[in-house]
Amino acid sequence: MTAKQHGTADTTTSMTTDDPIIEITNAAVTYDGGETYVLDHVSTSIERGEILGIVGESGSGKSMFADSMLDAIPDPGRLSGEILYHRDDGTTVDVLELSDDELREFRWEEVAMVFQGAMSSFNPTMKIGGHFKETLKAHDADVTSGMEFARELLSDLYLDPERVLDSYPHELSGGMQQRALIALSLILEPEVLVMDEPTAALDLLMQRSILTLLEDLQDKYDLTMVFITHDLPLVAELADRMAVMYAFQLIEVGNREQLIGNSGHPYTRALLNATPDIEAPLEDMRPIEGQSPAPINVPQGCSFAPRCPLATEECRVEDPAFTQLDSGHAVACHHPEDARDEIALHFERSEESAPVSGGDDS
Amino acid sequence: MSNYYVRRTLRVFATIFAVATLTFGLIRLLPGGPFTQLRAQLLRQGVPASEVDARIANLQNINPNAPLWQQYLDYMGAVARGNFGESISLGEPVARIIAEAVPWTVFVVLVSTILMFAVGIFLGSLQAYWEGSRFDKAFSGLSIALMSVPFYVVAVISLYVFSYQWGWLPTAGTVGASVEKELSIPFLLSALEHSILPIFSYTLGGIGGQALAMRGNSIQVLGNDYVRVARLRGLADRRIATRYVARNAILPMYTGFLLLLGFRLSGTVILEQIFSYTGLGYYMFAALKANDYPLMMATFLVITVALIVGVYIADLTYSKIDPRISAGGSDEAY
Ligand code: SF4
Repeated sequence: MTAKQHGTADTTTSMTTDDPIIEITNAAVTYDGGETYVLDHVSTSIERGEILGIVGESGSGKSMFADSMLDAIPDPGRLSGEILYHRDDGTTVDVLELSDDELREFRWEEVAMVFQGAMSSFNPTMKIGGHFKETLKAHDADVTSGMEFARELLSDLYLDPERVLDSYPHELSGGMQQRALIALSLILEPEVLVMDEPTAALDLLMQRSILTLLEDLQDKYDLTMVFITHDLPLVAELADRMAVMYAFQLIEVGNREQLIGNSGHPYTRALLNATPDIEAPLEDMRPIEGQSPAPINVPQGCSFAPRCPLATEECRVEDPAFTQLDSGHAVACHHPEDARDEIALHFERSEESAPVSGGDDS
Repeated sequence: MSNYYVRRTLRVFATIFAVATLTFGLIRLLPGGPFTQLRAQLLRQGVPASEVDARIANLQNINPNAPLWQQYLDYMGAVARGNFGESISLGEPVARIIAEAVPWTVFVVLVSTILMFAVGIFLGSLQAYWEGSRFDKAFSGLSIALMSVPFYVVAVISLYVFSYQWGWLPTAGTVGASVEKELSIPFLLSALEHSILPIFSYTLGGIGGQALAMRGNSIQVLGNDYVRVARLRGLADRRIATRYVARNAILPMYTGFLLLLGFRLSGTVILEQIFSYTGLGYYMFAALKANDYPLMMATFLVITVALIVGVYIADLTYSKIDPRISAGGSDEAY
């Protein structure tokens, strides 16, 4: 275990960005006092104003990653490490050192969050407007001007403000609730919006339209967004940079083109090949064989080794540290070049922005 | 929507009408039923045969010689006007007896049911907040124990201990014999003193069930995302406890409260017997023993109507109180 932690900690430098708004170092979450980790010493940083997409299967620790940015791990989990938040004015706070009152202010005023399942994020016996008002009051904000802003946000999201504010949650459709929840998360004008599977329960059409709306919002309000999902193609449309999580760790980070077109990790490449794409012939779609490990049996060495076609003895013994492939593109694998060579990507992204890769890179 | 309310209201009247008809049928039609017995009873009491019919007419608002439909109309008309005839055993108009008895019963049932819910909800929510603590486990056990003890056992034991053994509280009645029946401090104090034991024994056993229900509801609500989101939004703990947890946990118990209120009226038959507490249940039992049919039917009718009205109010108001339920159960009405 120590080797593993050490390896991951080393990678901090390889993933810094120019003007980070959040820097996470060795964030780890345990529910059993350190026996096992459901977020295993993750380090990364988030650039001011970017959209970072985090991709992972369910049970990969991606929700823990999201929660840790607000120090909001569900009880009785314990979060350790360091999470630095850099304000606009140049000051820096350590989120994990905040007092209860400071944390209460920090959340929603600086970093807000949208959970999956908007349906269950509203109090069923309170009107939507009540949620906005009580949030403003709880943060000693001016309610009149705050509600003005709420109406503006709702209009930005193509909702009829008066109708929505005066409705109970169950009177709105799933898509409307989700958009109302996004408006609620922005009511105190936070700098960062963390979204954990915000579109999971919605149909495809609604997912698309919410993505477009999120892009507009990001433009208009200068938001930094962290978008967490299991749906790789979905986030690929939106994100500037992407990161992939596997077995409670980050395994690859890069900008969108690097990660999609020229990924260096066998898991990422398998994920890309397992992804339904309208243009890919069905027989080329390959599910990834095997299962991702549970926290209690994360294997020694590389956690993907049991499922990895390229695994060598080295992989099974030593946990791979992050190595820099190109500028801003880092991968935690011993054999990234082999991965590019031997695991061909089945689909040719039609997007011009994504360079096509077949593995002729070596 | 309004259509539903109209239909629902009409149904209440239809049900009450049916119950009244049933009481008529019981008296008049059952072979060897009350009506026949009444006649035999009057004869046995030495009432001359020639007067028996007149007496029956007076007692039941029915003229036994009139055609059946005539009797029925007379009876229903009298009931509608609140005239239940005259009590055989007490020789008083039934309506007056009931008017005197009802307030006591309503008082005991209302206060004990409210207490039962209030204490149960309080304990249950504490248990939910401290789920798994020693307090929680102890009270869950206690709740189950309380639920399994019938109220009349509590009543008899507490009557024996507090009234007969220690003499702290009166053994019978609604107010002291020497107290004037008027709205005064001594009257209220005496009424309170007499009601303590009935209310206590009628409350204690019910607390357990309500506490367990509240505990379960609260734990379920506490696990909801919206509570977590509310915390992240920085709401004060007190607001979350009341507006989020308590409200959503108590709402499902509201209908149960109104139904229990009606249901527990009938339980007073035993309760008031034990404490000789002259309420509705006491008279119902007395009427039963004395074959006092007019009184029996009237108490039966009053208790049934109370039940029907309880269900009616629950139906009509639940959609007002819980926005998730739309009246009539027809979702997406628009
Ligand atoms: S380190 Fe080895 S086992 Fe792990 S992903 Fe890379 S090649 Fe596969």
